[in-house]
Amino acid sequence: MKSQTAKTLNLAGAAITVLTVLIAVLWAFPIYWGIVSSIKFEDEVVRPYVELWPENPTVQHYWFALTETEIGSWYINSIVTALGVTVLTVSTSLFAGYAISQLRFPGRTMLYWLILASFMVPTQTLIISHFVLIANMGLLNTWAGIILPQLIHPVIIIVYKQFFDQVPKDFREAAAMDNASEFRILFKIYIPMNWGVTTALSIVTFIWAWNAFLWPFLAVTSTNMMTITVGITQVNDAFGVYYARQLASAVLAGFPVAVAYLLFQRKVTQAITLSAGIKG
Amino acid sequence: MTEISLNNVSKSFGAVNVIDEISLDVHSGEFIVFLGPSGSGKSTLLRMIAGLESIDDGTLTIGGQRCEHLSPGQRNVAMVFQNYALYPHMSVRENMEFGLKNIHIPNDEIDRRVQKAARILEMDTLLDRRPSELSGGQRQRVAIGRAIVKEPAAFLFDEPLSNLDAALRVRTRVELAELHQRMKSTMIYVTHDQTEAMTLADRIVVLNDCKIQQIGSPMEVYLRPATRFVAGFVGSPAMNFIKGELSGSGANQVVVLGDGSKVAISIGLASGRYELGIRPEAVTVSKQPADAVASAAVVEHLGDRTLIYAKLKDGTAITAQDGGQSRVIPGDEIHLAFDTTQIHLFDDGGNGYHAANNST
Repeated sequence: MKSQTAKTLNLAGAAITVLTVLIAVLWAFPIYWGIVSSIKFEDEVVRPYVELWPENPTVQHYWFALTETEIGSWYINSIVTALGVTVLTVSTSLFAGYAISQLRFPGRTMLYWLILASFMVPTQTLIISHFVLIANMGLLNTWAGIILPQLIHPVIIIVYKQFFDQVPKDFREAAAMDNASEFRILFKIYIPMNWGVTTALSIVTFIWAWNAFLWPFLAVTSTNMMTITVGITQVNDAFGVYYARQLASAVLAGFPVAVAYLLFQRKVTQAITLSAGIKG
Repeated sequence: MTEISLNNVSKSFGAVNVIDEISLDVHSGEFIVFLGPSGSGKSTLLRMIAGLESIDDGTLTIGGQRCEHLSPGQRNVAMVFQNYALYPHMSVRENMEFGLKNIHIPNDEIDRRVQKAARILEMDTLLDRRPSELSGGQRQRVAIGRAIVKEPAAFLFDEPLSNLDAALRVRTRVELAELHQRMKSTMIYVTHDQTEAMTLADRIVVLNDCKIQQIGSPMEVYLRPATRFVAGFVGSPAMNFIKGELSGSGANQVVVLGDGSKVAISIGLASGRYELGIRPEAVTVSKQPADAVASAAVVEHLGDRTLIYAKLKDGTAITAQDGGQSRVIPGDEIHLAFDTTQIHLFDDGGNGYHAANNST
């Protein structure tokens, strides 16, 4: 009887494993297809049937992307803007989260509700006013122009607030008895006690900023100021679309984020769970 | 010399009054214990001195300086929290240094103070450890060390032993008493544990219902409780309370208890209804007929003495004490003798009066 139950369980386990693998394959296939296509010749890519492996693998599209385009500048632009967005967003959010969580000032609750309400406004609806504003400020085609409208991430403020709320009040009181200023309390007690969340939020913000497309696409028109996500749209020429070339650029564009993800996998998962919990 | 002086201080949380016009002088070098049940306002009062709670009304002076508007860090007092509140990401040394760095004390002075505190508390070897690597007792010592390095005008302790197990609590209590003797600093200590209060305090401040019920030395509080509350709260097992009627005058006064027993007392009070209070150790089992007769219900042998929980004829519960070798068993009818010098009477307002020859 007992062994029969165990057998049923084993079968169920095997079925679940097979299902999981199938779903994983389904998810991973587009990435595989993109990478494989990027090492095919153009005529192979447009063949009407599926070829899982190229006849004659080639790196010519990578060579093209690296030598014939401004990918170096795009990388630099992406690195600078993504780092700028990350540093500024995380640092302002942690101040805001701390203030809302720990300080008592008139309008605190109202401010918190405003931040919560700003979730309901999709970034896309603001994009025209952002564009007009940045254009009036003369910041189109600049790093500042790309960075500024991307600094609004209410979710990060709320995650920080929730983490700061959970710090036992004894620590704050002990620090007050220790004559610590609000800055000392924040930087010496609250942030070090929540390093994990800062790291996780920084990584996820960096990935968001790196992958951002719509705003950088609008804010930049000169090729040398493009971020890599916008830059890869420029690898075509007047004679048409080059899928393999485009995919090779996309692989290059995604490469740093993929490496970052592999290095900080656990933290990224944690951050996504944190922010998803809030959004849900 | 007065180190801390509270003058008519009050505090309420919304409509709830928690401290009601309390006045108290704490002398330099004194060990004061705030004793009271949960919700009596003792921790709030301590936190008001620390600056962690605002003072709605009244004045607070520490070391001659008015303090009610100063932030906690500016009051020159140090606090040891119930949960220690050691910063978990800092080593023991960093925990102790933090408060000194905040006020820009020179590094060599910080080092000297940390070393000195570590020596006093015998924790030289723990300085580079994190709080998570310490036992409860060691954390407690670090929390005290963090207070010592500040060289404050007064130490404030908020139920510091409540998280320790029974054996460690006794040991730490003795260490605290020794520390106080060695440092001769002013200390205010909050507890609901009367043993801690009795053993540590120079003076106990008993609080209940937002007010001070009594201030006095431990023996004064024990032997001459000012109110019925103090009488019932201090002492374990608790004092016996028996309703009675006082009659007669001068040295010939008698209290007639509910069961008709008569207890002679010299107290100099007007006749009337009172509640008689007497501690279990002042009620002993007698072989001959004495002040009252009771029926034993539960007998607890404690080795050196025996506690007998009994009922008088009218059903009033009474706890008596007998020798360690007591032969009383549940169901026995026993004669109880009252030590009339240890009798207290409480009027309707709860005010306590003590037998004429009761003294500390």
